[in-house]
Amino acid sequence: MSVPTNAHDTLANVHEFEVVENKCVADGIWRMRCNTALSGLLRPGQFVNVDVPNDASHILRIPLSFSKADAKNNELELVYAVVGEGTKRLSAMCVGDTSTMVGPCGNGWSLPKSDGRSLLVAGGVGLPPIMACARMLAEKGIGFDVIVGAQTASRHVEPILDELRALPMQQGCDCARTLVLTTDDGTRGMRGFVTTAMQDMLAERSYATCYSCGPNIMMRGVAELAHSQNIACQVSLERMMGCGFGACSCCNVELVGGGYALCCSDGPVFDASEVVL
Amino acid sequence: MSKVKMAVDLGGIQMRNPVNTASGTFGNGVQFEGFYDVGKTLGAITCKGVSAEPWDGNPAPRLAELRGAAIMNSVGLQNPGVHGFVKRYGEYLESVRSRGCAVICQVAGHSVEEYERAMDLFEEFAPFASGFEINISCPNIAEGGAAMGATPQSAARVMSAVRTRTKRPIVVKMAPHDVAAIGHALEESGADALALINTIPGMSIDVRTRKSRLARATAGVSGPAIHAIAVRMVWECAQAVNIPICGIGGVTTAEDAAEMILAGATAVSVGTANLTDPLSAKHIVEGLEEWVASQGATDVNDLIGAFEC
Ligand SMILES: Cc1cc2nc3c(=O)[nH]c(=O)nc-3n(C[C@H](O)[C@H](O)[C@H](O)COP(=O)(O)OP(=O)(O)OC[C@H]3O[C@@H](n4cnc5c(N)ncnc54)[C@H](O)[C@@H]3O)c2cc1C
Ligand SMILES: Cc1cc2nc3c(=O)[nH]c(=O)nc-3n(C[C@H](O)[C@H](O)[C@H](O)COP(=O)(O)O)c2cc1C
Ligand code: FES
Repeated sequence: MSVPTNAHDTLANVHEFEVVENKCVADGIWRMRCNTALSGLLRPGQFVNVDVPNDASHILRIPLSFSKADAKNNELELVYAVVGEGTKRLSAMCVGDTSTMVGPCGNGWSLPKSDGRSLLVAGGVGLPPIMACARMLAEKGIGFDVIVGAQTASRHVEPILDELRALPMQQGCDCARTLVLTTDDGTRGMRGFVTTAMQDMLAERSYATCYSCGPNIMMRGVAELAHSQNIACQVSLERMMGCGFGACSCCNVELVGGGYALCCSDGPVFDASEVVL
Repeated sequence: MSKVKMAVDLGGIQMRNPVNTASGTFGNGVQFEGFYDVGKTLGAITCKGVSAEPWDGNPAPRLAELRGAAIMNSVGLQNPGVHGFVKRYGEYLESVRSRGCAVICQVAGHSVEEYERAMDLFEEFAPFASGFEINISCPNIAEGGAAMGATPQSAARVMSAVRTRTKRPIVVKMAPHDVAAIGHALEESGADALALINTIPGMSIDVRTRKSRLARATAGVSGPAIHAIAVRMVWECAQAVNIPICGIGGVTTAEDAAEMILAGATAVSVGTANLTDPLSAKHIVEGLEEWVASQGATDVNDLIGAFEC
């Protein structure tokens, strides 16, 4: 069962945002940068619930993770796939347009509980929260490697991949990292699923913690591999969301021990061993 | 603001203004404290339905959206049981009450005995409750719920049973059918007020997979699309009973709330609109007062049922 509010977290509120950039960064995938006071309140792995203007197809908001929350510049970066009417309308927002988003929503990634390297595994538009996770680890000087999977070459988000490669580490730390790309059709990087790449990585190096976001079936595979090597694994889940802040019980996630948690307020990040993937 | 009188009496539940929240769409209030001061703003809040023992609710997915006018849910009353509820929210709800907002606790059950047990536990452990709402209209549980409110006889049976367990006001949450006859039976068996409507049972089929878009075949429809139906039912019910009514169904703006009042509602609950815009209920409080003044009235009570046929 869900806990109503997280005592050390800021309660969700409605925040204005203004678009400063909104452009196509890969086939069907867009990146929006916007100014919002919310950028100073978010932690990596949390999400926002966006009111898309002129979207007659929804009365609910659109939940989106973020790849960067830059408090200093008051800027939030979203990366999203255009899949239906809501995200299509979102992609039509122009520089200077304003709307609102609800947040901070949910609990973010936890820092590794034990020393050692982290392995980050993203599939499709699971990339933004993994990017935010990479920033968190880099800031703390925790070494990590990344696997990013996409259906096909044109769906890989080049600007984010560049940033992933270049993320500066806390000084004095080992900043060498491996970035492995996969595609389902073999048009870029390794052919096949991220789990195939993950097996290779696990054979070469030992990891203490694994972070994953992507399609459910992918996260299941990632969690199984991590579990088989006693690697702590955190996954970020998606559900249809009504409110995004624990008020409607619509976003249930089945728990291994029975019963349900709420994806929006207990998650979206869960310990993979506690949820039925 | 103006000197308009907004306080209403919902069958003994004193509300500073007619705006209440619909059970299941407002958490238990605390989730909205970041948006506005709930206790200082609303007339009442109605908590999520709670049963004597904890219920898990239904499997995922529990939610679908219907082209911009409605949503469907099949939550199925996931709740921590009365003890869990009081432990987790009791202190907070006490603070809501101390800020001048009524707290209505919703009682759920699968059978008359379960309603009685939940009622007894609430009576003993929930001193913060201004009153209770008996949910005999949940379309998302296999036994009890809507089945308990299906006929005037079954509804009256539950009502008579819980009536003997508390002296605090009892509101009954009604399903969207036969509201005049069932409302009348509930009044006869001791209800202090009625709340209507609960969600309307519906279906949504994914034509590619031929499966329901939710984990269950049927689920409850709510939101703007059901508003006109709800207003009609409030109007029909208001003509059949002498106890106050809380109007629920697609209330999204102050104008929607005003319609409910004109149709005969003493109070109005905001439901799905809390999800669309978490500030809705606050905006409706403000807009409703402006509407009363714009009608040249000095007391919102003078506009209850003032619909001109
Ligand atoms: C916590 C969370 C974080 C997310 N982060 C991202 C992200 O960073 N980038 C990204 O591209 N996508 C993300 N998504 C998915 C995104 O919310 C959906 O793609 C979007 O809502 C689709 O809206 P639409 O109108 O374009 O499509 P629609 O045609 O309305 O729906 C297409 C599909 O999107 C999903 N969806 C629709 N409405 C909702 C809703 N209210 N809640 C949850 N899912 C819904 C459903 O799976 C649906 O089948 C996230 C979802 C969640 C729950
Ligand atoms: C997600 C969700 C959960 C609900 N849970 C309950 C509940 O626990 N008890 C209840 O009586 N009604 C419940 N309802 C019904 C609402 O209280 C309300 O009667 C209905 O949604 C119609 O109002 P609306 O159109 O303004 O949402 C729920 C509705 C929704 C959307
Ligand atoms: S989306 Fe409402 S509780 Fe999670």
